[in-house]
Amino acid sequence: MLSKALCSEILARAMSSGADFAELYQELTHNNVIQLISGKIEKIGDNVLSGVGVRAFVGTKTVYAYTCDLSREGLLRCASGVADTVAQSKNDVSIRLTERIFPNINPVRRLPGDVDVKERISVLKEACFAAKNYDSRISQVAGNLISVDHNILVANSEGLYSADRNVRTRLAISAIASDGNENQSGYNGPGRSMGMEMFETISPAETGIEASRQAIVNLEAEYCPAGQMTVAIANGFGGVIFHEACGHSLEATSVGIGASQMCGKLGQKIAGDKVTAIDDGTIPGAWGSINMDDEGHPAQKNILIENGVLKSYMVDRLGSRRMGLPCTGSGRRQGYTFEPTSRMTNTYIANGPDKNEDIIASIEYGLYAAHMGGGSVNPVTGAFNFAVSEGYIVRNGKICEPVRGASLIGTGSRILMDIDMVGQDLELGQGMCGSSSGSIPTNVGQPLIRVSNITVGGRNQ
Amino acid sequence: MNFDEIKSVIVSSAEKNGVAEYEIFYTENESLSAETVKNEISSFSSEHTASVNFRCTVGGKMGYAYTELLEPEELAGLVTRAADNAAVTECEDEVEIFRGSDEYLPADMPEPSLPDAASVREIALKLQEKTYSLSDKVSDGTQSAAGSGIIATRMYNSYGLDLSERYGVDYAYSEAVVRDGEDTAYSFRGGNGRSYDELSYNSEKAVEEALSRLGAVPAETGSYPVIISANTMRGILATFSSVFSAQNAQKGLSLLAGKEGQKIASDIITIADDPFREGSVKTAFDGEGVATRTKNVIEKGVLTTLLHNLSSGKKAGVPSTGNGNHSNGIRFHNFYILPGKNTLEELLKAADGGIYVTEVKGLHAGADATTGDFSVESAGHMIENGKIGRPVKSFTIAGNFFTLLKDISALSDTVDFGVVTSATAFGSPDIFIPSISVAGK
Repeated sequence: MLSKALCSEILARAMSSGADFAELYQELTHNNVIQLISGKIEKIGDNVLSGVGVRAFVGTKTVYAYTCDLSREGLLRCASGVADTVAQSKNDVSIRLTERIFPNINPVRRLPGDVDVKERISVLKEACFAAKNYDSRISQVAGNLISVDHNILVANSEGLYSADRNVRTRLAISAIASDGNENQSGYNGPGRSMGMEMFETISPAETGIEASRQAIVNLEAEYCPAGQMTVAIANGFGGVIFHEACGHSLEATSVGIGASQMCGKLGQKIAGDKVTAIDDGTIPGAWGSINMDDEGHPAQKNILIENGVLKSYMVDRLGSRRMGLPCTGSGRRQGYTFEPTSRMTNTYIANGPDKNEDIIASIEYGLYAAHMGGGSVNPVTGAFNFAVSEGYIVRNGKICEPVRGASLIGTGSRILMDIDMVGQDLELGQGMCGSSSGSIPTNVGQPLIRVSNITVGGRNQ
Repeated sequence: MNFDEIKSVIVSSAEKNGVAEYEIFYTENESLSAETVKNEISSFSSEHTASVNFRCTVGGKMGYAYTELLEPEELAGLVTRAADNAAVTECEDEVEIFRGSDEYLPADMPEPSLPDAASVREIALKLQEKTYSLSDKVSDGTQSAAGSGIIATRMYNSYGLDLSERYGVDYAYSEAVVRDGEDTAYSFRGGNGRSYDELSYNSEKAVEEALSRLGAVPAETGSYPVIISANTMRGILATFSSVFSAQNAQKGLSLLAGKEGQKIASDIITIADDPFREGSVKTAFDGEGVATRTKNVIEKGVLTTLLHNLSSGKKAGVPSTGNGNHSNGIRFHNFYILPGKNTLEELLKAADGGIYVTEVKGLHAGADATTGDFSVESAGHMIENGKIGRPVKSFTIAGNFFTLLKDISALSDTVDFGVVTSATAFGSPDIFIPSISVAGK
């Protein structure tokens, strides 16, 4: 990584025309993806990402430049480009950097690069073969074992100089079930901020079987009926509902420019009484955990909503300037080609007062969403949508036949108020979240919850 | 390091490590972009990046490695990493480093240049000013952006094939947020061009569309005739494009496997993949060095070919269609549904009582290319008296892409490609479907 002396020089250059803050971000990432399809290793993806981004602030305006040229001349050229754009007034600054080391909340025992490729291949094969052998109707299994070794350095004109390393491992299995006429798919992709020791607690075979089980359920399912229903959404990745319906609207990215449905609502009741929601970047080993954010702030546990009342937004450095609120350890980015912005880490609805069996028993007719796919939201209007990847009709308080092809749509402000039961089996589910600062690992999560009324998109009328 | 220095390090490392058959694919990007919030530039960025994709064959298997760290030690190691990766690969598909096509058609792209930073900022600011000036309902959250980029590619392989290409793109976006009391609506429009006069149209369209969306109510659940706007259908086509990959078909991931020569769409559907389309980025060679060519993938409803790279072509016993990329995938060029004969007004008349869908959201989650199923959040307008009527939102349209292709009964005469920022672009006209499932109120 770049030396303190060189970073000081680059930062001073970036500030030389009157910027009031400058920041340097260096990334060196090694991504390794072993891909298996039809039982054979198809390809190994082996990518080294390397570059530096320099950002300067003048009030709430930012200038950002990035380069993969790591020579002193190349870096100073990049910083000069920033200064030329800032172009306020000449400013001679000298910057003293002090190294700061953050506590490591994600210690890694078995770095993927240190583990023999044969062992990594055997983990992937165990998962894929278990998925293939689950049922004779499983026609194809594709699996990826993803290892990421992400090294960053953040230095800024406030004197910070801090390096960090985030190692992640993910096993992603897709299974296709076919009855000769049509295909249905299932997916399971557990991931952790860990090395290969992740598989001491997560069984590759069970990971594969779960993907195939979903595909077979969907193959046997009828199309979901459409209309407004009461919906119970299961724990784990079901938390994507909160991520989409509310989480994005609480990011300074949209709140700070007045573009969010959640603007000006701090202290107001925005959700059902039973809803407490938390963004916590400090959970050891969790997929969305970080030691420091990509602006050099330590990760935090932020209570976003407490008993239905909005307590906090997620705020990055630029958002902090725009909103006059402190940073919350939420400044994140995919890598050096993106400016950081406010993002989620591990975001979940906390356990509530209701027993899971009572939640299902309370539904006369509705949908039980056992597994959710992804979704998206427009933070301006709060309109969101997400896909149900495994669903069942609930009739007279009992889970009945499986249905497929359902999606849930609504607006964030409305659905939060309509969460009227919250269960007690909180679990986290892993996803990649896309936004203006790129694709980053985040956990969603919740216990089983009940939404009293939501639009279910489906095909049977 | 420049390309020649990079090449020389790699060539000598390959020699030293006994790697005889290999390929270097080098990409260099330079770009500028500016974004606005309220009445000022909120962010300006400039980029200069370069990267090397390396691949080589070892024992009949292909190994890959990629780096952005262009330093001698890393580049030399790239060769051994790729060779190690080849050694554990088991895929039995025949692989090839290409010796070259007989003829490469000229791409004829103009020599690109970057505008100066000040003019990029000025365009973004003027668009923002224009957007705000069009209605007093335009509110905070409205953003404009402008940018330009140059992409240069160079490929070199151990058979001496040496090809290069450069092109530039200039684009801008206008995003309008309008408020009326508690009601908020939004529209996003983009276009290509470098001058404000070419681009201000996007601000007008964005504001006009956002205003037309105010007061939207949920649509009633039911079956409706539907027109899917060109801009929306373009996104749907892109989402399901992977079903046209021969590679996916061979791996059991596309329901179009083995359907070549069969009728898979209505008679009026012709889908072309055109690397030389005027107005888009033109490319003469693909990511494996194969000469590109224009072809109809669907001709009057009949699937004529899937898109092949070298490896999938060998497996199927056909030549590559010039759609390989440098990492063993399929690259789409300008892939689009050809226009029909009707004006949008004529389609609206035919779809009276139906819904004109102008926006779908969450295609990445609500659509499954393996099954063809989709169920996506939508917004648009009721079609009343054969004309665009009151706005509707918060409903889903659901169906299956393969069924949709067969159900399309009319096409408008104008193809929309959206904003073109790379050599891959998807286009479509407005399409008319006599009946589709809508879930709303």
